[in-house]
Amino acid sequence: MKGKGRRWNLAGQMPLVSLIVLCVATALLTNRFLSPFNVTNILVQSSIMAVIAMGMTFVIVGGGFDLSVGSTAALSGCIASMVMLEAGIAAGVAAGIIAGAAVGLANGLVIAFLNVNPFITTLGTMVLVRGVVFLITGGAPVSGEAGLPSEFVAFGSDRFLGIHYLVWIPAVLLAVLSFVMHATPYGRRIYATGGAREAAYLSGVPVRKVIASTYVWCGALAGVAGVMLAARLQSGQPTAGEFYELTAIAAVVLGGASLQGGEGTLYKSVIGVFIMIVLGNALNLLNVDSYWQRVAVGAVIIAAAAAERLRSRGSR
Amino acid sequence: MFKPRMIALAAALIAPAALALATPAIAQQKTTIGVSLAQDDNPFYIAMLRGIRARAEELGWDVATVSANEDKLKQINGVQDLIARGVKGILISPIDSVGVNAAYDAAAAAKIPIVSVARGSASPNQTIHVAMDEKQIGRDIAEWTAKKLNGKGKVGLLMGPSGAPTFKNLGDGYSEVMAKYPGIEIVFRGDGPLTRERGVKQAEDVLVANPDLAAIYAANDDVALGAMQAVNAASRKGKTLVTGMNGVPPALRAVKEANLAMTVELNPAEWGRLGVDVLASFLKGDKVEPRVFIKHVIIDSSNIDAKLPKT
Repeated sequence: MKGKGRRWNLAGQMPLVSLIVLCVATALLTNRFLSPFNVTNILVQSSIMAVIAMGMTFVIVGGGFDLSVGSTAALSGCIASMVMLEAGIAAGVAAGIIAGAAVGLANGLVIAFLNVNPFITTLGTMVLVRGVVFLITGGAPVSGEAGLPSEFVAFGSDRFLGIHYLVWIPAVLLAVLSFVMHATPYGRRIYATGGAREAAYLSGVPVRKVIASTYVWCGALAGVAGVMLAARLQSGQPTAGEFYELTAIAAVVLGGASLQGGEGTLYKSVIGVFIMIVLGNALNLLNVDSYWQRVAVGAVIIAAAAAERLRSRGSR
Repeated sequence: MFKPRMIALAAALIAPAALALATPAIAQQKTTIGVSLAQDDNPFYIAMLRGIRARAEELGWDVATVSANEDKLKQINGVQDLIARGVKGILISPIDSVGVNAAYDAAAAAKIPIVSVARGSASPNQTIHVAMDEKQIGRDIAEWTAKKLNGKGKVGLLMGPSGAPTFKNLGDGYSEVMAKYPGIEIVFRGDGPLTRERGVKQAEDVLVANPDLAAIYAANDDVALGAMQAVNAASRKGKTLVTGMNGVPPALRAVKEANLAMTVELNPAEWGRLGVDVLASFLKGDKVEPRVFIKHVIIDSSNIDAKLPKT
């Protein structure tokens, strides 16, 4: 494992190199790009997706896949808003995150213990959870008569030490979760399970529990993202989060994770998110037509997948 | 060994850079305004954007657009990108009246005027709202209908989706006028989706209950075209007047064929032009009312020939 890690050292930094090249190119094309306003702007825009992508990294490293994160974020945001209006901010936030973890647990149990394909399982929960969101909200945004509590709304735009609260959350989560993933026996078991499930099982790793646990992380983090989204949108939005799963998966793959499992790093997934967000920001700053933007983003996703494919062929 | 990967990643980077280079160089000295519409693939907004671009070009302005595609977070992010780009003013069609308030807050913090066109926001930071005068349109449709009916007859109302403010206002304006005519009786008032199918169904039911129905008010052209089918099937063509709203091409043809009694033309390209003009006056320092109403034109047999698309 170690030798392999060293051999891939330079290639392993490709996401960071790509991000830097993208930033330099954009900065050369427009002097607005590196303005303090725009840098803050990029950090805030990346924050919610970074949290989702971290959860997705757990699942993908564990050899799985989760399409339900966008719906889960919408569910969590709406439940958080509804509970908040009745029982206060803390209860609302907790309810939102617990709802997300519950969806993750359901995904994890079906996938790990019933051996249902993760793609199909989470495709199912993606549709099912979106239906539940519409049922509980009646399809209308949740913001109560007088809006969500003002402290909660302020959380979506206020700063602490000059940096938005929305940015602090992924920053702190990244530190804590990196420790969990890279410095604990549990973390190593996720890599072992995703890399070679059979071998991990034979060496005594409780692979089913490990796999199920990755979905709980993913769901809970989608829940955190949903709560952040509600603060940002000043309401619980039943239609929020559509296609977030695809952006998150693309970001994780851009960050060098393998869809075959066993490979991936949290901070590189966050870099993958930055690549996606900076790309969108750059195209907007350069006034690229919105139809062309779709073409560009699609091309980047395919290129990332191609890179992943070429690399796995190269390492064989 | 990692070369193929580097090539792929390089490709990933070159693609957007090439796109960026392919776009015209940014003229720094020109005034640029930003536009964020709720959708970029809806004919209404496409036409509106065409109007915005045309008017901006006449003023010598550049237009920077960002897309939202009904994703509220994407709309907020797009507006922030516009602010970062240094636009002088923003035209926005907010996805809903609360969800994208953060975009208005960001514009206000950057001291950039933000004008809503078509859809509006509840945000106190909305500079101006340019929209149709829904109540007045409802009143005008009612006045037109009452005149045709000589002030007497039974009327059915096929309203919009329940809770949608636009259609509530239209209906309120309509009912307000009809209440002034003692001979006119509103016998039905139903909410529903804005589809042709629902127009057929609801109109059939109303016609069964009231075979002598004199007029049907439909909240938009699709509902009206559905109601028209029901009226024709009941052999009530010319006896039960159907009115629509929007002025979409099939409705204009129906007016020409006298299947539809009238519709109201809402010209989205004109909305776009008006949005630019309102922003221009505001930037010049002129006093602009917080609500600006868009002109609407009633289309019936008297002026349909001028409105039909040239063939």
